[in-house]
Parts: sequence; C-alpha cells; structure tokens
Amino acid sequence: MKFSAMKTKVASSLVALGLSVAVVGCASRLDINPINTIDGANALSTDQGVKVALTGAYAGSNLGSTNLLGGAMMYCSEFLADDGEARFAGTFQGQFEVWAKQMVSNNALATGMWSSAYVTINQTNLVLANLDKVVTRADKEDVEGEARFIRGLLYFELAKYYGRFWGDGDQNTNLAVPLVLTPTTAVSDADNRPRATVAAVYAQAISDLTRAEQLLLEGSDGTRATKSAAAAVLSRVYLAQGDFARARDAAQRVIAANVYSLAATFDQAFNEAAAGYTRENIFRMSVTAQTGTNNMQQFYSPAALGGRGDVRIQASHLTRYEAGDVRAGFFNISGGNRFSNKWNVQFNDVAYIRFAEMLLTRAECNFRLGTTIGAAPLADVNAIRTRAGLPALTQANLTLDRILAERRLELAFEGQLLWDLKRNRATTITANPARSWTNPLFIFPIPQREIDTNPNLVQNAGY
Amino acid sequence: MNHVFGFVPTGRQFARYALMTALAAMFVVFGHSTAFAQSVIQGRVTDESGNKLGGVTVRIKGGTRGAVTKKDGAYSIQVGAGEKVLTFSLLGYARKEVNIGEKTTVDVVLNLESQLLDEVVVVGYGSSSKRDLTGNITKVASADIQDIPVPTLDAAIQGKAAGVVVTQGSGKLGNAVQIRVRGAASVSGSNEPLYVLDGIILTPFSATLTPTNPLVDLNPQDIESIDVLKDAAAAAIYGSRGANGVVVITTKKGKVGRTNVNVSLQSGFSNPTKQVEFLNGQQYVDYLLLSGAGADRNRARLGIAVTPANSRVGFVRSFLNDQSLGAIPATGTIDPSRVPNQNWSELIFPSNVPTNQIDVNINGGNEKTTFYASGQYFEQTGTVVGNKMDRFTTRLNVEHKVSDIFKAGFNFSLARTFNDRLAADNAFSNPIQAVAIPSITPAINPATGLPIGATAEDLDYPLYYNPFLGIGNSYRRTTIIRNLGTFFGELQVVEGLKFRTEIGFDIMNQNDDQYFNSVTRRNNGTAPLGSGSFSTQRIENINVNSFFSYLNTFDEARHVLDLTAGMSYQKQNTIGNTVSGQDFPSDEFKKLTAAARITAGSSTETEFSFLSYFARANYKFLDRYLISVSGRIDGSSRFGADNRYGFFPAASVGWVISQEDFLKNVEFLSYLKLRASYGRTGNAEIGNFASRGLFTGAQATASYNGNPGIVPSQLANPSLTWETNDQVDVGVDFSLFSNTITVELAYYNKLSKGLLLNVNVPATTGFSTIVRNVGNMTNSGFEFAVTADVFKTDDFSWRMNVNGATLNNEVTNLQGQIIEGAFTMSRAMEGQPLGVFFTPEYAGVDPSNGNALWYRNTLLADGSRDRTVDSVYSRVQRVAAGNPIPSFTGGFTNTFRYKGLELSVSFNGVFGNKLNWYGVGRFSSANALFEDNQTVDQLNSWTPTNRNTNIPEARYLTNNGSQQSTRYIIDGSFIRLRNATLSYNLPKEWISDLGVNNVRVFVTGLNLLTFTKYVGWDPEVNSDFAVTNISQGVDFYTPPQARTFMFGINVGF
Repeated sequence: MKFSAMKTKVASSLVALGLSVAVVGCASRLDINPINTIDGANALSTDQGVKVALTGAYAGSNLGSTNLLGGAMMYCSEFLADDGEARFAGTFQGQFEVWAKQMVSNNALATGMWSSAYVTINQTNLVLANLDKVVTRADKEDVEGEARFIRGLLYFELAKYYGRFWGDGDQNTNLAVPLVLTPTTAVSDADNRPRATVAAVYAQAISDLTRAEQLLLEGSDGTRATKSAAAAVLSRVYLAQGDFARARDAAQRVIAANVYSLAATFDQAFNEAAAGYTRENIFRMSVTAQTGTNNMQQFYSPAALGGRGDVRIQASHLTRYEAGDVRAGFFNISGGNRFSNKWNVQFNDVAYIRFAEMLLTRAECNFRLGTTIGAAPLADVNAIRTRAGLPALTQANLTLDRILAERRLELAFEGQLLWDLKRNRATTITANPARSWTNPLFIFPIPQREIDTNPNLVQNAGY
Repeated sequence: MNHVFGFVPTGRQFARYALMTALAAMFVVFGHSTAFAQSVIQGRVTDESGNKLGGVTVRIKGGTRGAVTKKDGAYSIQVGAGEKVLTFSLLGYARKEVNIGEKTTVDVVLNLESQLLDEVVVVGYGSSSKRDLTGNITKVASADIQDIPVPTLDAAIQGKAAGVVVTQGSGKLGNAVQIRVRGAASVSGSNEPLYVLDGIILTPFSATLTPTNPLVDLNPQDIESIDVLKDAAAAAIYGSRGANGVVVITTKKGKVGRTNVNVSLQSGFSNPTKQVEFLNGQQYVDYLLLSGAGADRNRARLGIAVTPANSRVGFVRSFLNDQSLGAIPATGTIDPSRVPNQNWSELIFPSNVPTNQIDVNINGGNEKTTFYASGQYFEQTGTVVGNKMDRFTTRLNVEHKVSDIFKAGFNFSLARTFNDRLAADNAFSNPIQAVAIPSITPAINPATGLPIGATAEDLDYPLYYNPFLGIGNSYRRTTIIRNLGTFFGELQVVEGLKFRTEIGFDIMNQNDDQYFNSVTRRNNGTAPLGSGSFSTQRIENINVNSFFSYLNTFDEARHVLDLTAGMSYQKQNTIGNTVSGQDFPSDEFKKLTAAARITAGSSTETEFSFLSYFARANYKFLDRYLISVSGRIDGSSRFGADNRYGFFPAASVGWVISQEDFLKNVEFLSYLKLRASYGRTGNAEIGNFASRGLFTGAQATASYNGNPGIVPSQLANPSLTWETNDQVDVGVDFSLFSNTITVELAYYNKLSKGLLLNVNVPATTGFSTIVRNVGNMTNSGFEFAVTADVFKTDDFSWRMNVNGATLNNEVTNLQGQIIEGAFTMSRAMEGQPLGVFFTPEYAGVDPSNGNALWYRNTLLADGSRDRTVDSVYSRVQRVAAGNPIPSFTGGFTNTFRYKGLELSVSFNGVFGNKLNWYGVGRFSSANALFEDNQTVDQLNSWTPTNRNTNIPEARYLTNNGSQQSTRYIIDGSFIRLRNATLSYNLPKEWISDLGVNNVRVFVTGLNLLTFTKYVGWDPEVNSDFAVTNISQGVDFYTPPQARTFMFGINVGF
C-alpha cells in the first residue's frame, strides 16, 4: 500500500512536470535575438556606428571585393583590351568570356561587379545619410570625404564598364548606370531606377571626387582615401573626357602635394615590403592575412608563388620593350609560361593608382596642350624612363605616341589599357579580327538578373 | 450502460475521475444499447505465448455489435441467430475471423501482424492500424531494408515507398541525400522532410564542408520501422514543419521472453557503377590536331590570315610537346610508339575497395522490464581514391513498468562517425577531375619518379592540378559525435486515458579538420607552404513533448474514440568556431599551432525555438466509418514579430465498404476502403532570423586593414511567416482473394502558397534578395502500391511489391520573379516546374560547314517562336528546355522463399527527368574547344568527310557549340537493379547441437545494373557544390554510386 502510494506520487509528479513544461513554454520562449549580428535600426545611430560603417565600405564585401578593387575592376579592362599578348588560360567561365570578348548577359563578372559596386554605393549612402551622428567637425569632414571618394570612384568605373565611352556618340543621351544617392531601407517599385546618362554619371563622379578632395586631408597611408587620392582619380575622369587641362591640373596637385613620389627602382613600386612602395602607391586596397583578397595576384601569379597562373604573358608582348628596359625583365617563367612580377606577393595590397601614372598624365596633357605646368613633358617621361633603365629621350624625339607607348609599358596589366585605347580612339583594339574602340563587345552587358528584376533598364547593344 | 461508469473512484483518484468524466460526457450520446440477444458467446484471447490480451475488439462480422476483452483477455458477446463469424482485432496483431458454429465458448490466439492491413503505422504522437487509417502513410519495415549494404537508412528506402524519391546525388560516402516526399514544395526554403526519431525532431544536415547526411550517425540495424507521413491529414499534427512530409523513425525495443543475442558479420567490396570513357593518348593527339586544323580552316573561312606564327595546329604541336614532357616532338612526324598513354580514370577508381560491418545486439526482458542493446562497427572505403568512413554506434533502449499504471523508458544512442572526405565536385582536387588531364601526360614523371607536379620543377604539370598529389599530402576529416536520447514517462490516468511526457535531445558535435601541405600548393595556391583549417560545430537540440491520449470504445464497441492533445517545445542552439592558417615550417607539421599566419578565425552562435499545441480526434463507427480531425498551433522565433503563430488544421474521412452488409458476401473482395483528406501544413525552414534587418561585423566581409567595420547583411521583413501548404488526398485501398493482393491507390494535389522566397530585387538597392512570402507552387500526382502473394505454400512463396508515383510540379506564381540556379541554366519561373532548364535550344550541326546551330526561338507577334536555325549564339533566345523532376518514379521488388532460402530482387526507376551535363561537357564533351581530354563520343565531330553528325567541328580555342544549350541537357531516366539478396537460414537440426538459435548466411549486391541513356557517370546525380532547390540534376565531375557485393552471416544465440 505504501509502495503503491509512492508510485502514485511519482505519477502525479510526472503530470506536474508535464504541466509545468506547458506553463514554462510560454510565448517569451519565442523571443530569440540574433547573436552574431546586430539590429539594423540602430546600427548607425552613433558616432562610432557611422565610422565603423565607413570602414565597412572598404571591406572585402565592399570596395575591396574581388569584383571591384580586389581585382576585377582592373583586370577586366586588361582582359577586354588584350589582343593576344596576355592569354587567359584559366577555367573560370566569366573571366574567359571577358578575355575572349564573348560575354553573355549573365556573365559572372558583369553581374558581380554591378552588384558589389552598388553594395558599396549603398554603404556610402548610409554613411552620408547619417553624417549628423558624427560628433566633431573634423571627423565629419573626413567621413564625408572618404564616403564621397568611394562613391565617386565607383560611378566613374561603372560608367566606363557599362556605358559607351565618353565621346562614343552623345554622352548626354548614351546610358550608363542608375544613380542611387540615398540608402535603401526597404525595397519598392521606386527602386526600379532607369539608367542615367553617361554625362550624368560622370557629373556625379566629378562632384563626389571634387568634394572629397576639398574635405579630405593628406595622409601617408594609401589604404584609405586622401586628398591626393581624390585628385588622382579626378585626373583619370578628366582624361577620359579628353579634358586635358583639368586632368593635368589634378595630376599636378598630386605631384605638387609632395606626399608621393617614384620608388627608387621599378620593382619597389610593387613590393609592399620595399622602401618606396608606400610613397609610390597613391591609393591601394589593404590585403592582410585575414582581410581583403588580391585577385590580381591570384590571376597573374603562377602556382609556385601562390596564384592560379591563369594570365600568361605571350612573347608578342615583349616586342614592345626597348633593349635594356628593366620592365621587360619584370616577368617570371614557371612551368614554361611567363607571368608578370607585378603581383608576386600574396598578401600585398592591391594598388589602384600609382604616382608614375600622375607623371605620365601630366606629361601627356602638357604635351597635348603645349604647356609645362609643373614640369616639361620631357622631364616627366624621362623620369619614368630613367627608372626603367632606359636612356633619356630628347625633345626632338618626344611625340605623343612615344608618351602613350611609355604609358602602356609602365602601366602594363594594371587596368588602364582599355580606357587608354578608348580615349585615344584606337581603330584596332584587336587587329584580327579588327575591332575598334566603339565596338559594343568592349562594353559589359547590363546583368541579366537586373534586366529581369528591373523593367526600367535597357540592355546594351549586342546582348 | 456505458462500461466506463462501472469505475468507482477513491478520494485520491478524484482528479482523474474529473478528467475522465469530462471526456466521457462528450460521448454520453452513445450510451444507449439497442442490441437484443439470443445467445452469449464467451472466451479468452491470448497471444502466441499464452499472454492474455486485453483491449481486443471482438465483433460480429457484418453486424453492428461488438465487445472488448478485459485485462485478463476475457470477453462476452451476444450473438443473434445466423450470426456465425466473430472477428478479433488488436493493434499490432493479425486480425482473425472465427467461425463459432454451435460453440458458446470461443478461445482465440492472436498472432503478431503479418498482413499489410494489420500493420501498425506510427502517426504523430501515436499509432494506428493501416486498416483504420484515413491519412496517407507509407511504412517501410526493418525487414525491407536490413540487408541493403548502405551506411544510411534513407539510401535503403529508395524505391520502397510510392511518392518518396530518394536521390543520393553522389557516390561520396556520407554526403547529404535528397529526399522528396510528393515533390518539392518550396523554392527557397528546405524541401527535406522532417525527421522524427522516437519522438525527437532530428537536427537536419550539418554543413561546414559540403553537407553531411543527418542520418549517417544512425545504425540502420537499430531501426524497427520508418513511417513516411505523406498527406496533410497525417502531417498536419506537425504543423509548420510538415509541408515536406514527415519521416517517423522508430527504433527497436526489447520483447518479453528469452534473451536473444544476435551477432552479424558482413564483408564485401565495391566498384564504381560506371566509368566514362575518355580519349587514349593517340586518340587525344589526333583529335587535338584535328581541332587545331579545324580552327585554322574556320579562321581562313572568316578571312583571317593563317600564318605559321598564328597557326593553331602549330600551337597544338607545341602544347603536345610540352604536356607529353617532350615525348611528342613539336615539329615533324609523330611516332605513334612514342606517344604516352596514361589512363587517368583508372587512378581515380581503385578496384574492389572493402566494406566491413560487425553488429551485436542483445534484447529481451520480463513482464516489468524490456531492453534492446546494440553495437555496430561499420567501415567503408569509397570507390573514389581517398574516401573512407567508419562508424561506431551503440544503443540502449529500456522500458520499465513501475506499476500497473505507470511506465518509464529510456532510449539512448551514441555514435562516432569518421569520414575522410573528398573535395567538393568543383575543386581541381576532386579526383574525378583527373579525367580532364590529357592522356599524353604521364601520372608519374619519369624524370623524378614521383607523381607529376610533386616537385618545384614540374609544379605546373599536368595541364590541371594533379588531384592524386593530395593522397598523403592533404586530408579533409570530419568527425561527428552524435548523442540521441529520450526519456519518457507514461501514466495511465484512468483506463483508456494516458498521459505521456518525452524529453529528448539530439546533440551533435562535428569537427572538420583540413590540411594541405606544400606538395599540393598548386591547387592550394594561396598557401605555397601549406595550409589548414579546423572547424567545430556543436548543435544542441532539445525537445519536450507532453500529451494526453484517450482510447476507448462505447456501446458494445460500436464507437471507437481515439483522442490526443498536448504540447511540444523545441529549442536548437548551434555554436561554431573555425580557425584557418597557413605557412608551416615543413610538411611534417600538420596542426595550426605551427602555422606562421592565422588567416581567419571566428566563433558564431545561433538559436531558434518552436512552441506548439496540438490535438487530434479519431472516431470510428461500426468498424467502417472513420473520421479524423487534427490541428496544431505553432509559434516560432523564426517568424516576423507581426506573424508569430499559425494554425494548421486537417480533416479526413474513411469508409470501409467491405464491412457493409451488401459486400459481406463478395468473396473475392477481402477489404475495400475509400478515404479522403484535406489539410494544411507549413514550411518554416527559412533560417533563423530571416525577418530581421541586420548588420554584420564579420571579419572577412566587414573589417578592413585591422579596423573593425559593419555592413548590412539583410533587409527587414517583419511580416515574414511560414509557407502554407494545402493538400487534398483521395485514395482507395483494397485487397482481394483473402488478402492475396493488396492495393493502395491515391491521388493528391498540394498547393504551396506564400512561398518563402528569396525574392530578387534590383542590386542597385545594395541587396540582391529579400525573403518574402511570395508565390504559389503545385505538386500533384497519382500513387500506387501493390503487394501480391503470387504463390504461397509452406515451402515456397513468392511475394511481389510494385509501387509507383507520378509527379507534376509547377511553379504557378512568382509575381513575375525569375530565380536562377547553377550556371544560370536552372530556374524557378512561372508556368514551369521548379528548376526547369532554361537555355538555348541546340539544333545540331550545319552539314555544310560544321557550325553549331541553335533555334532562334525569338517570340513572334503571333505568340509562336521563330524556328529558324542560326549559328550566331548571341542571336538565339533561351527557352524552357527540360524538367529536372522525374514525372514517374517507382520500385519493383520480388521476394522468393523456398524453405530456408530467400531471394529478394529490387529494382527502382526514375523517368522523364533531364540532367545537366554542361558542367562537365563544356570542357570534356566540347569538341576540343580546350585542351581538356574529351569523351570518346567527340571523335564523331564534323569533318569535311563526316558531315552528318550532331557534334560540331572541333575548333581549338574557338567555341563552336560548347556554349550553354540543350546539347548538354540529357534525359536522366534510368532503371536500376538496386539490390539483390540471396540468403539461407540453416535448418534448425544442423545447428541445434551448436547451442545457437539460428544461423543465416547471405550474399547481397547493390546497384548491380543500371539502364540509362545518360552519358555521365551516374544518372542519380546532384553535384554537391551546386545542388539547391532550383539547381537539380547538375553533374560536375560527380562520383558515381558504388556497386557493392557483401557476404554476411547472422547468428542468433
């Protein structure tokens, strides 16, 4: 009897346990909040929140993305413009299509560059919309300057990749990309934005970069936006427009600021550990063992040096160099193939713009305009040549073609080839078959997924 | 009087009495007896061992009256004149009909179920007899799967259950298996069924590398039954988790009686089901030269000057010279005897790799305590070099009766699974990718005597990374410790009313240890001095179920009522951490403690919870009219704040017509039931915080140059909620000729609404997708299952099982969205099945010039498509061109028994689906666009003397037809001899002297034959790097299934 009573007790406790579970199972058990992430509503509500969001705009998901300055924004220009001097031998379909001039509307790079650029633009828009949270005036100017620098740079690059080049037809009617200047909090039909004209996107880029140059201070670290970095990118924008005076003046401002200079030797310009590296590279994306990715190294460097060994420099490229040019020896042979030495070190930063380009831009513009602002064109060109181990030119044999040829060799594979060919109205970017600078194959498709999601977008010719 | 009122409550039992009264009051209406009697039959019902059976329903055949046996097995029933047959039924026992003749005392022995109709099927929070079922549940019993030599039970049910499609996807050991119950119901949410093991909702797959199978840690030999809840009536009790069907797994329990000790040993070997044939050395040389010549000829035709400097033939010659390591001269005549011939495929698949398995289990018990204890060691070597898994599992299931009214139990299992895994399909280190290496490159470099690519000098050889360098120089090791446990207590509150509480946990601890030394640096390019990573994931999944169940009969068993009501709570917490590093001092160092650089490290945590209330009522009248209603209220932390709870009701009816008077004398018809159900289930598999607007600070995406950063990771959608599935199911079950043939037929139509969709938004917003409840999808189909005892005597029997199902899937509304999958060829789009291949339509080859052709398929004003063929790829339109979902799947099993000898042969088949070979074909069946070795069928490409072919002219480095198109969308139908087992039970007289109870020897084979038109390794394919709901049927150098032979012996003591 006693035992049975105990058992009944056990049984009753079990019922009680069950019921208590039912009671504790109240609605509050469903209130579970994210642990790895924070709520969006308050993320940018403080001074620190805005500043860390600005840092995020440079990060691997933003400007440092492999789709943007982590690599693709440079190498796509080179791949498209290649006429058999640098063979792409990798297996990535997207890269192959770009190199082979066989892009289709869902090309992975065209899709990736577009979406990563707008991720970054949204991030800068978030920062710019919350500038009022930044406490000191100096900080506010820096934050605004950096955000505008990134946004302006990206609109300039997007206009070049997705639109017809400045001067190819009418830039006031030719379409580039949609202009988005406010952050996204929800998605509605209002987000089905049409493409703005090439002129409008250039205007936005110039406005952002000009403001950035005004607001930013100089800094010795080219991994973030500085006054000189903004001026340097501006010089590219004006050069693309054929506005040689403004391009020259912007380059001159960089040179005159005296923060940057040529590294002592050519190879130092590409080796982060070298003394002159920081002084030569005006803007570069940081790559560390933990953050950032150097896709230039991935594609241009052989497996022996930690790359994929996909871009193989052909003998035909070497014929461009004069005897004694140290740049002609700036290659390594691995597995019977030739690779550029420019991105040989795995965790090196990815350079976007170098001081050498400023000299060449100033030289070209001064030459074209017959001016000698800052320095005579001959002096600038010879500075480059001397470092490359070449004899100085004389005024008599200095021509525009020689300046442009020097630029091509100095900046080889660094992402300027297509734009330099286009702005110089090259009649044969590829010789066989002949394709001129206006050929629509040299323009990215608007990504098919964008066409599919946004009815207000118009596809580029040929896709 | 209703017999429950015979109960006299004591004071202590008052609470129970009150509860019971409340339930009983509902049925007072049935408390009238209308029977009039002429005689009384009495007796006792026992089981085979003489145990008295209470609760047996005794009923007059064709009549309305019945009775129920008491605990001592006794019954008495009034019988009218002319009523001569009594039926006895109890869940789990074979229904028995007894002719009473003139007797007044009828004692009956019931045997354990043997007929399908008497099978016990497990329903959510209870069980039922198949005879009384109004929902649609398919049961697979242990006997159906015990000999199939697969490590996981899901692979064993392939082809066994109508409408349940199991796709292994890959021959890699332990990889995730895809199960679709009545099709895919979601575009962006999970389409895998819910797994419930002994009441615990199992943690779904775990993925730190490619996903592993959630069932890999279960010993299939421990499984008593697998019940697949297919329709809404069956699954709605699982509410927002039930939309993809529910797989209820029940483990074995001990039985009262002698202690049985079973020992089983199995051993065997495996080989790939198929190898794809590639060009040998000489064929490769000839074909690549042909391709070079084709390219030159085509360029000349286009007016491009071909010079010795730019000749592609010249380029090919230097390539052949280089890749043959100089054996083939760059100029001049090629001596065939000097052309190397390396068969890379042979290196991928070592022959006759072993599998071994040892099982021991002990079970038994007495009146108070029963137990089942088991242990297993299983090891299997994969057919692809470098793949191996082993597993230890132990299990203890104990049940103890504390008193007559209270029992408690404990199920516990511990498993350790180790898997030496392969790289994802798309990695160069996937051994299958070796087929792409030119067959002129030797695997062993004659200059070094080492595998080619092993030294700095030949690092860039062969053409692609030599995946065999990874053997001994790298590993990907996954170790899983998995602990499943349930404790339950069950109290009989009053007779018929039980209360049960189950507390269960599923704890999974997974480590992924990866290491790649310097020899692999070409593949592991970012780390020339070696790299490694170590990830751990711990998932704690806690379940609590508490419910009442009430089963009783009223009014001489005219009315049977079965009620269930309770609540359930689940919480799952996942923590993970990972660290990666590179640059080791030497290849002797393998652990990250020696890595010079730590390249990444993180720890993460996430959680979700569900709180649910459920109820079900089953009512049976006169053993022939069946009604069931059920409902569940589900709340989840996953849903948006505005939409936290959902209600999921279902109702079903059944009519056992064969019990009606008017069919009583139809001799051939043993059983006939019509049933219909309608109900609602949900899909809540959307990730834990999909409704929130979030910012992440993850190092790799948000921080920069040593400074912390944040970036938005998703936009908010506070109204986000579960996906709703409304399903109708109608069916007829019948059996003929004394249950010799049993047939189940069903038709269902499942409408998924408010799909949990990753809706594409313009990327100009800074976001690619947002999760919304958008769109509809339907799945419908017919299912049949037939079991026939073709021949049956004491010595010889032949049983045949056939099942099949059709499936028609259509995405009916996505609000105009198009969602793309692998290679942007797979799609979700309106008016098409999920995952439809959308690509240009290949039109063959222009006989005049060898150009590849496609249909333009431009949409014309009249709605038709322009069927002009065109050789300019950019001018042709993509069209919906193939369904990856089979329109028919089925299985066919024959089992023959002769005395102790048994032969079982199972086929399964899949029909009407397409597979995507583009991932391999664009390189390897691409008429030598690149230097990749080619499948032998490419030899038939166009040449000026071979104009009528479907393969375009080979043009080295000029894409001629290897673009995405239906050229690579291939029929994936197949029929497979899935399993054949021959076993022999040694006669008792041979073994009785040895002190053993039974000895069974067997030989079994898996995947013995495959009949298919598919060109790849295996038509059962879902490449691990690509597979999603939309990207189905994608092949990417995916390993084939194994063909396995096993020999085994079971000894019972």
